[in-house]
Amino acid sequence: MLLNNYQTDDFFDEMFTEGGNGVRPHYQRVADRLQLLDSAEQRRKQTAVDLAFMRGGVTFTVYDDDQGTERIFPFDLVPRVIPDTEWQRIEKGLIQRITALNLFLHDIYHDQKILKDRIIPPHYILGAKHFRREFMGFNVPKDIYVHICGTDLIRDREGNYLVLEDNLRCPSGASYMLENRAALKRAFPDLYRSARVQPVDNYAADLRKVLQYVSPPSLGSAQPNVVLMTPGVFNSAYFEHSFLARQMGIPIVEGRDLVVRDARVYMRTTSGLVPVDVIYRRIDDDFLDPTVFRSDSLLGVPGLVHAYRSGNVSLANSIGTGVADDKVVYYFVPKIIKYYLGEDPILPNVDTYLASEPEDRVFILENLEKLVVKSANEAGGYGMLMGPWASKEEIESFRVQVRANPRNFIAQHPISLSRHPTWCNTDLGGGFEGRHVDLRPYILYGEKITVTPGGLTRVALRKGSLVVNSSQGGGSKDTWVLHGDS
Amino acid sequence: MVTLKFTATSLHPLPASSFRMSELIIPSVQKPISNKRDSLFMLSRVANSLYWMSRYIERSENVARLLDVNLQLMLDFADFDEAQLEKHWLPILCSSGDEKTFFKLYQKADSESVTEFLTFSEENPNSIISCLFSARENARQVRDQISLEMFETLNECYLFLKSSNAREIWQTGAHDFYEQIKKYSHLFQGLTGSTFTRNEGYEFINLGKFLERADKTTRILDLKYHILLPSVSDVGGAVDAAQWQAILRSASALEAYRRFHVEDILPKKVAEFLIFSPTFPRSLLSCMQHLDEDLHRLSGNERREYKSAEERAFCKLLSDMNFMTIEEILKSGLHQFLQLVQTTLDRLDDHIYQEYMYHPPVDTQSEILLHQQQMQQQQ
Amino acid sequence: MIPESSSSGQVIRSQGPWTEPILLSISHLTSYTYEGAVQDSFNEARLQPITDTLQECRDFRFMIDPASSVRDYPDFYANCVHYFDVPHPHESLEVLAESEVQTLTETRGPVPEAGVTSLQDPSVKEYHFHFLHSSEFVSLGADVWREAVDALPAGVSDVWNDTVAIGEYIHRNYKYTPLATTVNTRASEVIKKKQGVCQDFAHLMLGLLRTHGIPARYVSGYFLNQHKLPGEIEASHAWLEVFIPGYGWKGYDPTHRREADTRYVKLAVGRDYSDIRPVGGTFRGKGTRKMVVEVSVQKIS
Repeated sequence: MLLNNYQTDDFFDEMFTEGGNGVRPHYQRVADRLQLLDSAEQRRKQTAVDLAFMRGGVTFTVYDDDQGTERIFPFDLVPRVIPDTEWQRIEKGLIQRITALNLFLHDIYHDQKILKDRIIPPHYILGAKHFRREFMGFNVPKDIYVHICGTDLIRDREGNYLVLEDNLRCPSGASYMLENRAALKRAFPDLYRSARVQPVDNYAADLRKVLQYVSPPSLGSAQPNVVLMTPGVFNSAYFEHSFLARQMGIPIVEGRDLVVRDARVYMRTTSGLVPVDVIYRRIDDDFLDPTVFRSDSLLGVPGLVHAYRSGNVSLANSIGTGVADDKVVYYFVPKIIKYYLGEDPILPNVDTYLASEPEDRVFILENLEKLVVKSANEAGGYGMLMGPWASKEEIESFRVQVRANPRNFIAQHPISLSRHPTWCNTDLGGGFEGRHVDLRPYILYGEKITVTPGGLTRVALRKGSLVVNSSQGGGSKDTWVLHGDS
Repeated sequence: MVTLKFTATSLHPLPASSFRMSELIIPSVQKPISNKRDSLFMLSRVANSLYWMSRYIERSENVARLLDVNLQLMLDFADFDEAQLEKHWLPILCSSGDEKTFFKLYQKADSESVTEFLTFSEENPNSIISCLFSARENARQVRDQISLEMFETLNECYLFLKSSNAREIWQTGAHDFYEQIKKYSHLFQGLTGSTFTRNEGYEFINLGKFLERADKTTRILDLKYHILLPSVSDVGGAVDAAQWQAILRSASALEAYRRFHVEDILPKKVAEFLIFSPTFPRSLLSCMQHLDEDLHRLSGNERREYKSAEERAFCKLLSDMNFMTIEEILKSGLHQFLQLVQTTLDRLDDHIYQEYMYHPPVDTQSEILLHQQQMQQQQ
Repeated sequence: MIPESSSSGQVIRSQGPWTEPILLSISHLTSYTYEGAVQDSFNEARLQPITDTLQECRDFRFMIDPASSVRDYPDFYANCVHYFDVPHPHESLEVLAESEVQTLTETRGPVPEAGVTSLQDPSVKEYHFHFLHSSEFVSLGADVWREAVDALPAGVSDVWNDTVAIGEYIHRNYKYTPLATTVNTRASEVIKKKQGVCQDFAHLMLGLLRTHGIPARYVSGYFLNQHKLPGEIEASHAWLEVFIPGYGWKGYDPTHRREADTRYVKLAVGRDYSDIRPVGGTFRGKGTRKMVVEVSVQKIS
């Protein structure tokens, strides 16, 4: 009933076919169940989920005062469903992408063949903010640079999956993926059972295996001591850090709990100093070690980089992956895939223009009011111009910035992200309306590459908004990859 | 000639909140390196936070009880003049070693000023509000170690104290106010008992609780020590009797005492009860026995073994107390005995600190800052 | 290192580049004394002379007091970096590097002409990217640009000749003044002050060269001071190298207004001082009371 007035408008809708007439086969079960839902039941289930999240601490913290307010990352009850064949293609594409990116990272920190062969102009890499020249020639354990990657995917008007960006430093959200699944199972147990959804609960165990796999070779066959390093309770993602540590059964430590002696890392425990072999660090490179990187960092461990360099401790992700996190490098990823694997990308990029490439710059400056212009280095959706919706002042301000510092900007056409029925509260009670969504699957790179089926679907809760980040009014959904296609 | 000096060993230095102490401490090279790789470890910082969280909560409850009892007592002696009021309240102030801070902020020691100082003053590190703030800060640092209910309870209590509501309640009905504080503490301790995983952390929480409790019992008793000097004749009178009752009430011991000693409240019996009673859970001996058990559980040592001079001193004192009599104590001096216990407990706190948590800093907090090596200019 | 001067105190220019190979014995001692005892000291040192076509490091000894184990790695610029830690409490730290270096005659022949177009070649602009752009101590802002225009009004016509010209410009307009600046002084401040020591002149000249598109890198090292007064303590020296297309890197010393010849021994190269810090690190404690640096460079043969 609540779905009767649903409009797909001019966007690709996940659940409904063009015009809103038919339900896609893989959504049939969900649609049937939603037809039985009335607003009272929706409210009950939503409240139950919200309460469970609040009590369970499934929150992120916003620090306006020193107390900090804990907010739930809003969760929408309607799951996003992906049929198996569709997923298999996505999975292949993601595996291809991370394989290429890992080879790329190895190359630019060693022989830099891709630069010598002029596939990428060297100055993009050499001038990149996160290029860690201190680690040129350094051999990372098992040659794996990116152990955990979160790649953001979107769908265009025709329903094609496109890669929006790769997150290779400290991608977050996996904990929400797990908690969302638990919540959905509680809210709609029968629906879940009958739908035959691929499980995501292996994530923690798989991640732990990856971390153990890259332990320092000097350890031999001894069981490595793996820890998770967090900036601490005052970090907005602390919930995720402690959640994942608990799920994996590993200690969670802060910089001040670690000490380096003779190029080895130890944990300060009540039983004395205990050696640490692998650190899953949720701290950016810059803050890891005040001796070598930012000297004002209180989050890091003096001597950690020395220990890493001596091969006595492994870090996940390795130092230096940020250079591939760059939106400018994103522009070259299709060429990177071709160069190292000899293949065309299975998952294409969004068409992108690079302000520092002369032809692209001309195009960008002539079409600012039609394009989405992003700063090449910032995450979180800040520093962005949404041309078609921006004021004249904003456009002119960006014109000046792009001219002054072209290396720092890329531009794309606004993509009409796909939409998904999402519960929206209105004065009249509420109903399902279409809201834009993206998808962040999580890829783990260890002895083999695994992609957790589904991932985090983020939804822009504000009407018409395309911004899905938690700090700017986004929410999330559970993502179901079915065992079959319906 | 014994002077009426109430400088107890100062309660453990609390620079702002001890949760910051973890930044101070760097282990020296001498710390043994454990070869255990697959056991479950407890981070020193976490042990420290759990210990102090527990101590601060116990401390706040004890202060609440002490103030409540003494305020009730004052109701019976409404005609006390200023000098008498000061004589009553000063020892209570001194028992936590904060009289200097008090006199910086207030002119005289009377019911209102002292209770306000010990309840709401943020300049007083041992006030109820300061203790609960520190407890909460420590709990926040170890959020994922304690259960959600434990944290929520602590949080609620703190928010209650900060609210304007709290002041109003305190002004109109102090008893209800202190009851509420005690209730929160009991709830917290009960939740700990029922929801906290029995790992090493549990031992540290108990150590904090019992050490604080034992310490507080000695201070409560010490308030009236001069009455029990053998050379001073029994002061007697209604005032004293009421004060001895208050002593018992401050330790929540009145009913238990009455069950044990059907006769009147005699100072000597009160002291004996509070020190030696094996059945009363807040007695000094009971608390120390708990400490002993927890210490050995933590160290894994046999009962006769000890890890340091401080632990040995504690075990020896406990062992002596098992065979001491109240007459022996009174003969050599109750105050001296209580001082000995306090010092031993203080040293035990040091032992726990040094053995399990940190090695002492080089000197003081200001010396553990991170510096960059001075760089040489090229000429 | 105090630059060579005549008895009147003027910085003199030597007669011509030294071409004979020299065997030099070098000692570089850095001593820190701290306020009270400090601990958890983690450090890196770039004190081992390079071996390349122009010099050969024959012997190198690296000593720390208090003793600790030392490891090393090659950094991005192929400098040898030694790293070590002193965890336990100590009141002083001494870092001593002793080496024997054989400087060698230049065998590449005369410096060819290299005009401005040779600098535009992508292989130059891209491979020497880090030596053409702003770095921590050398920010290519408006002030540096103005000074660069003043130093070379007609722009680049020949890389090496223009390098020398810029060196002359600096000599005319800047005064060597110890204590006018500190180890943290940036190139912009040097332009304001018009004074500095060799570290500052090197930073300044790097800014001017880079603004004109000439790749230039900072060099840390020593030089043999023939005019050293007996008992005079020296420090390490800073100069720079420019990249001449078709030739390679060539050293120029703006402090002495001359090319870096066989009297010069290179320790490390980088974008600026922050890439070559002779000794750097962190420790915990009250702070440093004193730092003393003693360098001696002797000719053996």
